[in-house]
Amino acid sequence: MARWALVSGLQGDLALYEAIQRDLRQLGRVDTLFVLGDLIGPDRDANALLDRLQDPRRGELAPQCIYGWWEDQLLAERGYRGERRADPLRQQFGQAAVEALQEAVDPGHLAWLAALQFGFIELDCALLHGSSADVGDWLGPESSPLLLLDRLTRMDVNRLFTARSGEQFCVELAGGGIASTVRDLAGERQLQQVVPQRKVIGIGGGLRYSLYDPGSERIAFRSVGQQPGSRGRGFA
Amino acid sequence: MAHAVISCLHANLAALEAVLSDIDQRGITTITCLGDLVGYGPQPNEVVNLVRERSIPSCQGCWDEDIIEGLNACECSYPSQLAERRGHQAHQWTAEQLSEENKAFLASLPMTLRRDRLLFVHGSPNSQHEYLLPDMDAFAALERVQTADADTLFCGHTHRPYVRELRDGVIRVRVQTPADPQAAAEREMALPVRRIVNAGSVGEPRHGNTHATYVIHDEATGNVEIREVPYDVERTCRAIVEVGLPPVFAWRLRHGFEYAERADDASHVCER
Repeated sequence: MARWALVSGLQGDLALYEAIQRDLRQLGRVDTLFVLGDLIGPDRDANALLDRLQDPRRGELAPQCIYGWWEDQLLAERGYRGERRADPLRQQFGQAAVEALQEAVDPGHLAWLAALQFGFIELDCALLHGSSADVGDWLGPESSPLLLLDRLTRMDVNRLFTARSGEQFCVELAGGGIASTVRDLAGERQLQQVVPQRKVIGIGGGLRYSLYDPGSERIAFRSVGQQPGSRGRGFA
Repeated sequence: MAHAVISCLHANLAALEAVLSDIDQRGITTITCLGDLVGYGPQPNEVVNLVRERSIPSCQGCWDEDIIEGLNACECSYPSQLAERRGHQAHQWTAEQLSEENKAFLASLPMTLRRDRLLFVHGSPNSQHEYLLPDMDAFAALERVQTADADTLFCGHTHRPYVRELRDGVIRVRVQTPADPQAAAEREMALPVRRIVNAGSVGEPRHGNTHATYVIHDEATGNVEIREVPYDVERTCRAIVEVGLPPVFAWRLRHGFEYAERADDASHVCER
């Protein structure tokens, strides 16, 4: 069975991407690399990384990319999202960040970025940047279980991988239920529903990324940098 | 105090007049409308004028939005491509008929109305186009009410009236992080009791009967009464044919049936 690497938040950092590729080569047995958005950011020139993602070197895993929040902001500001502009970015980080983001990406890359998808669904797993509700949706280990369940239900999947928060976590829905009464002109009926066995997995961002084996459902949280104690540890 | 909630008037003047008369007879003076004042029916200006004359607070429905903004929804609610073409025909006719003043009125309608812990929307708090069906996933239904910070959510859009109470909900989760991957922290969330009230449809009922539907909510007791009101269906059906709208809209009103056209193209799958 395939083993996936799930990466996000590179933000134009080619050296970081190369470090992750080296880590994957040393690990072996990883056959699919998903990059769940935030390929670009306002802090550094992203063109070299974007070139590499589109044209991988021999021996590297070819990345399967989707767009993230930063790409969405850039594409909005550049007119690829109808009348929408990068107002969330402007409000959160100021006009200077909007300009820096535009400076970071050569216009020649815009068509490729605009063609990236919102997410992938593979083997009952939704691979997204934010969530099924929005690319900017922020899911973390403390998020409301009701919200997490809703985001899973919207995609009709049992596993949802998210990157937006940059955190590594696995929240497993482990039980519970809900009752409801529906009354209409035909009468009244009682409904019972149990919480389905589902998971939301935060893959991390930047230095931190995750491995996932869809066959065994084993997740490993990894880091190629300075996060002490996180390297190579995993759980089923 | 009792208040009435009406929805999906769909340019059906006879039905609206009958429902307002029913409300007046009960001495109810507070009315809220959940949108879709126009579309499908033959009297868009007359219906909008009446809502304006009565100063009925209204949300903007999906048809109201599309008339102003142009068609931009997937419209997967159409049961077939033929039904979709007829819907577009109705859209074009309505857009041509509506006065500029009434278009401006529809454009001014808010997406939601709120009164204390009661929230009024057309489809859902997320979208005018989202259907909150009576048997939908209960957790997703609760999430719509809870995220909107309401106790009771009033909606329309489905054309089928119902009251759903969601209760006794609990979700248990196991959380694992890299800090200690072998030790999973467990926590439990008790879910609040919440209600969804669908007001049905005044102008295009689809609950299996031809009568117009709306709801009366008693804020003191919390009781919700689903009202069915007979009206002169033939008057509206004749008008539909006379103005040149697709006769199937009249057929649908005469039967109170949703999928009049499903057999035309049962294989339709929206790929947009």
